[in-house]
Amino acid sequence: MEVTINTIFTVQGVRHLTDSTYIVRLDRKGMMFVPGQNLNIGLAGDPEKRDYSIYSSLEDNFLDILVKEVDDGLVSKKLKKLKPGDSIEVDGPFGFFTIKDEDISTKKFLFIASGTGIGPFHSIALSYPELNYKLIHGVRNRNETYEKDHYPAGCYIGCLSKDKKGEFRGRVTDYLRQNPVDPDTLCYLCGNVNMIYDAFDILKEQGVPSGNLHAEVYF
Amino acid sequence: MARKIAFKTLGCRLNQYETDSVTSDFINAGYEIVNFSEEADAYVVNTCTVTNMSDHKSRQTYNQVYRRNPDAVLVVTGCMANNHKEDLESNNRITYTIKNDRKGSIFNLLDSHFKGEIISPDQLKADRFGFGAAEKSIRTRSMIKIQDGCNNFCTFCIVPHVRGRAESRPYSEIEKNIKHALEFGYKEIVLTGVNIGRYERDGLNFEDIVGKVLEIPGYFRVRISSIEPEGFGDKLFNLFQNPKLTPHLHLCLQSGSEKILLAMRRQYSVDDFRIMVSKILNRIPDFNFTTDIMVGFPGETESEFRETCKVAEEIGFSHIHTFKYSVRKGTRAERMPNQVQEKVKTERSLIIRDIAENNKKKYRSSFIGKTQKVLVEKIDKTGFAKGYGEHYFPVRFKADELTQTKDFKLVRVNGLLDDQDFTVTAKPV
Ligand SMILES: Cc1cc2nc3c(=O)[nH]c(=O)nc-3n(C[C@H](O)[C@H](O)[C@H](O)COP(=O)(O)OP(=O)(O)OC[C@H]3O[C@@H](n4cnc5c(N)ncnc54)[C@H](O)[C@@H]3O)c2cc1C
Ligand code: SF4
Repeated sequence: MEVTINTIFTVQGVRHLTDSTYIVRLDRKGMMFVPGQNLNIGLAGDPEKRDYSIYSSLEDNFLDILVKEVDDGLVSKKLKKLKPGDSIEVDGPFGFFTIKDEDISTKKFLFIASGTGIGPFHSIALSYPELNYKLIHGVRNRNETYEKDHYPAGCYIGCLSKDKKGEFRGRVTDYLRQNPVDPDTLCYLCGNVNMIYDAFDILKEQGVPSGNLHAEVYF
Repeated sequence: MARKIAFKTLGCRLNQYETDSVTSDFINAGYEIVNFSEEADAYVVNTCTVTNMSDHKSRQTYNQVYRRNPDAVLVVTGCMANNHKEDLESNNRITYTIKNDRKGSIFNLLDSHFKGEIISPDQLKADRFGFGAAEKSIRTRSMIKIQDGCNNFCTFCIVPHVRGRAESRPYSEIEKNIKHALEFGYKEIVLTGVNIGRYERDGLNFEDIVGKVLEIPGYFRVRISSIEPEGFGDKLFNLFQNPKLTPHLHLCLQSGSEKILLAMRRQYSVDDFRIMVSKILNRIPDFNFTTDIMVGFPGETESEFRETCKVAEEIGFSHIHTFKYSVRKGTRAERMPNQVQEKVKTERSLIIRDIAENNKKKYRSSFIGKTQKVLVEKIDKTGFAKGYGEHYFPVRFKADELTQTKDFKLVRVNGLLDDQDFTVTAKPV
């Protein structure tokens, strides 16, 4: 697949989902990608760049990324201030956090995300509507269950650690302990390294072989 | 009188391969290649920037050259030329700074220079695969570049920033290069690149390439250089049953802690690594595994380091290249909290070194009484021949009537020397 290097993309707009989380929409410019991949992004001419998973689907004629503004963060703060028509520099797509064509219609998937780690799963779920999956999303409050209505009924399970109004009260790790996973499931985990590490341990205890575990660590 | 050129290579095998190829261009054009410590008309320093130490050594090397011979042409190339291009270009001791993708044109640049034509490095052709097979006189085994660059972006690594994006060489060119090397008389081919396991071109992956290379007719063997534990599986493991493919892999572990591997953003788990090793050992029980281990990655606790020690002992790597983590600007790990103190890194690397020594002694001792097909590198004045067997450890034996190097000799291992490297001693069969 062709990889774009230092290419200028135009911002179509920024949509705010919460006070700190937003979606940046860019022109797609015909970019080919595999759902689950990420882009390396920075303001035009700014050497500081960061990785962001593609949030939009293969069908869309734009590229979306879902970003959380990090306290004291350098790039996530700058991206939040982008305006329609602004230019940003993009490298990519990169990454191997993708699913194999032959598994799409034959396998069962479990997606486990913390925070904006839901990004690649949004792209995967919307790109492959026939996929048999469950998405477990760990956040604090219900306002962080970003666009959960985009997933078919029963596929999205919000695990809210500080809010009673969700599908599950507690952390994703609590959910996994209470709902053991069939070892044949292909498990994809994305977000914070501690969550992924703890979830790996639980899944391995439940008999999921290491070959069925895939991770994308954000920080 | 022929112009004299001297080369110095720092860092990885890929750099060495590229220097060899450039050196061959000069030999073929009638230049004289001299030792780096001797007086020359031009010095080419092929640098490395993978750690702070590599930067330091690279700088030291070109500064020394300049002090010794300020009138000579000084060419600085390699990863440092990519990572610190502006600094090097503004250093008036350096005549030319050549980025990696133009390294293959250094002969054109210098040859023109000596003919009075000054070419700007930016005018040189950018071609990451513009390297021919090395001239026979240079090495015992011929490295063949099959791939360059890396898209993995491990959080500690500067390589994707300095070697650029992954690109695989078309198989037809690889085959041509190998046939050339075989014509030169090379008996061992080493497949090399930055992340060769991720080879992908024209519908072929790394396993396909190895399979095809093994089918090339001729009396030679194939070695896989350093490889990341990803992007291959049973097909490659089965290929090791072909005696043409040497039973050795430098399989980079980096850490034996799952958590550190995640934080490093490696593409495998410790369990995946163990499974790979056991699948290979099931096929070839005396297979030689060597590895890279990084100590002192940000946040690496004592217990996580112990996990690495445990895996290093359990797998029994017969050689471990230990790196102390050092911050590389622009990488993700640069921004990670809990950087480990230098003193702790040094202690940890010494512990790994001890494990590696024990492993090495144990592994090599297990060959006593067994045969090795040694590719003879040199015969010294005392009449001893030295070279590497198929399992890739150094073997020394009495040359007797043997006079020819760069060919195979079957020997039986009879002991280990008490030297630093536990060189294996043997007798011709
Ligand atoms: C492959 C990959 C894909 C990624 N995709 C996304 C994505 O789709 N959306 C997204 O928001 N981020 C994503 N990230 C994280 C992103 O690259 C940046 O690290 C993040 O935006 C912070 O950058 P910054 O410059 O604002 O902060 P920095 O100045 O780089 O760092 C500040 C600190 O914030 C911490 N941090 C980083 N990310 C987060 C986070 N999400 N929440 C809380 N703390 C954090 C880091 O540990 C760091 O110490 C991804 C990372 C990787 C490696
Ligand atoms: S695989 Fe990781 S360590 Fe190896 S070159 Fe690529 S980024 Fe660097």
